Amino acid sequence: MPQPYLLLFRNTGPETHAHLSAAERQQLVERWNAWFVGLRDAGLATDGRPLELTSRIVAGPGGKRVTDGPFPESHEAVGGYVMLQVADLDEATAIAQRHPGLAYGLVIEVRPMDVTCHLGVVTGPA
Amino acid sequence: MPILPQRTDDEAPADEGTLVENFFRHESGRLHGALLRRFGMGNLTLVEDAVQEAMLRALRSWAMGGVPPNPSAWISRVAINYINEALRRGATAAAKQTAVGVHWETEATSAPAQSGTTEEINDDMLRLLFTCCHPVISTDAQAALALKVLCGFNLAEIARAFLASEAAIEKQLTRTKARLRAAGVPFGLPADANLGPRLDGVLATIYLLFNEGYKASEGDQLLREELCVEAIRLASLLVAHPLGDTPATHALLALMLLHRARFPTRIDAHGALLRLADQDRTAWDQPSIDRGLVHLAQAAAGPDLTDYHLQAGIAACHCTAPDVGATDWSRILAHYDELLRRKPSSPVVALNRAVAVANLHGPQAGLDAIAAIPDPARLETQHLIHAVVGEFHQQLGHHREAAISFRRALALARVGPEQLHLARCLERLEAALPLG
Repeated sequence: MPQPYLLLFRNTGPETHAHLSAAERQQLVERWNAWFVGLRDAGLATDGRPLELTSRIVAGPGGKRVTDGPFPESHEAVGGYVMLQVADLDEATAIAQRHPGLAYGLVIEVRPMDVTCHLGVVTGPA
Repeated sequence: MPILPQRTDDEAPADEGTLVENFFRHESGRLHGALLRRFGMGNLTLVEDAVQEAMLRALRSWAMGGVPPNPSAWISRVAINYINEALRRGATAAAKQTAVGVHWETEATSAPAQSGTTEEINDDMLRLLFTCCHPVISTDAQAALALKVLCGFNLAEIARAFLASEAAIEKQLTRTKARLRAAGVPFGLPADANLGPRLDGVLATIYLLFNEGYKASEGDQLLREELCVEAIRLASLLVAHPLGDTPATHALLALMLLHRARFPTRIDAHGALLRLADQDRTAWDQPSIDRGLVHLAQAAAGPDLTDYHLQAGIAACHCTAPDVGATDWSRILAHYDELLRRKPSSPVVALNRAVAVANLHGPQAGLDAIAAIPDPARLETQHLIHAVVGEFHQQLGHHREAAISFRRALALARVGPEQLHLARCLERLEAALPLG
C-alpha cells in the first residue's frame, strides 16, 4: 500500500540560480519537468507546484503579530513541493536523489505524511 | 496583486509546455528590445534588472510548476510588473522620470501583456542592435554589450568569450552604460543620413563576434561555436530588415555561413586541428554552404565591393571545391591581392596570400612571398607564420629548416588543438630526420 510523502524544495531562490547561463537555465527547467512528468506518468507523483515568493507569518494570540516571512535566510524557505505516493521512505529518498536540481544547489527535504486528512479521506490510490 | 500567475487546472499538466531551443538566450534580446522601447534608454539599468528578475522567476516557477502555454507573454508580464513596481516605489533614480513611468504604467496595466508580432519583435531587436553598436562606444565594448542584452550571455560567458576576467567585463559594461547615458543615446534607428556609417559599425561588431568565436577553439569550444551562431543570427536579423538589406550585410552573412559550414571538420577525433586539405569535405554542412552562396549572390547586387565580399568569395572557393586539388587558387589569389591592396599593412592578409601563392606556384614562391612581407617582425610572435614556413620547407624537403619552424610555432601556439597538430607535424618530421 503506497504511502504519501512530501518533498519540500529549499534553496530555490534567485541567489541560487543567478549565476547560471541561459543554456543551464533552460536545461534545468527541462530536466526538472522531465523528472516530474516521469513520476506523474508512473503514478508516483500526485501534485507539485511552486510557492509564491511573498508570504506572511501570522503568530501570537489572536494572530496579532504579522510579519513578512518565511525566514530571514531565503535559502531555508520552501520554494515548492511535490507529493508522492510510494512504498516507503527509501523509495521517496531515491526519487529525491534523482532530482536534476541537486547539482545546482537545490536542497530537498523528504517528509512522510500522515495518511489521514481533514477531508476524512485516506489518501492513497483510488 | 500577484505577480506570478496562478496555474489553472486546464493549463496543467506540465508536459505540453515546452520551451523553444535557446529560449532563455534569445528571450533576453526580445525582452530588452520590447522594454527599452516602452521605458526608454534612460531606464537601461532598470530594464536589465527586470529582465534578469523575470528570467529567474520564470526558471523557478516553470521548473516547479511546468512551462506555461505562452512563455514569452508570461515573462513580459513579470518584467513589466517589476518595472512598474520599481517606478511606483521610486526606488531607483530612473523613477524620477515619473511622467514616462506613469504613462507606460497605465498602458501596460490596461492592455494585456503581449509578446508582440514577429515584425514588431524584429523591429525592436534591430533598434537594440543599432543602439548597442552606437559609435560613442568602442567596437569591443559594443560586442560585449550586444552579447549581454541581445544574446543573453552572462558575465562569466562574456569573460570567457573575450578571455578577460569577469571583473574587467563588468567594469567595461558599467563604463559603456555610463557613456551611453552621458551621450543621451536614444533607443532607436539612425537617421537616413547616418545609416551607412552606422550600419558599417554594426557589421564590424558582428564580424568581431564571429572572429572571436572562430579563433581556433581557444578556450571553451562549445561557447566559441555559440558566438559564431549568435553572430549569424544577428546578421540574419539585419538582412531580413529593409534597413539592413545591403550588399555588405549579405556578404558578411555569406562569409560567416561559409566558414561555419566547415566547423564540424576542423578538429579530428583526437582534438587536433585539421588543415583545410585534410578535412572531410563530405561532412561540411551543405545547407549552410547553400545559404551562404545565396547570400553571396545577393551581395553581388550593385557596385559595392567590401572586404566581406572578398573574404566570402575566398570561403566560397573552398566550399565549392569537391577536393583540395580542384580548388580555384587563382581566383583565391586574386581576392587576396585585392584585399592586400586595400589593407597593405595587414600582415595576416599577406600571410594568407602567401599560402595561396604557394598553392598556385609552389612552396618556394610561398616562401618568397613571406620574405617579401614588409615589417615581418610583427608576425614573429605569431605561431601561424612559423607553421606555414615549416610546411613550405617540408614540401621542399628542407627537413631541418621545417623542424626549426615547427618547433618555434609549437612554442608560440596557445591552443590545444593547434599544439597537437604541430606536435604531430614535428613527430613525422623527426621520424624522417633521426638527428633532429
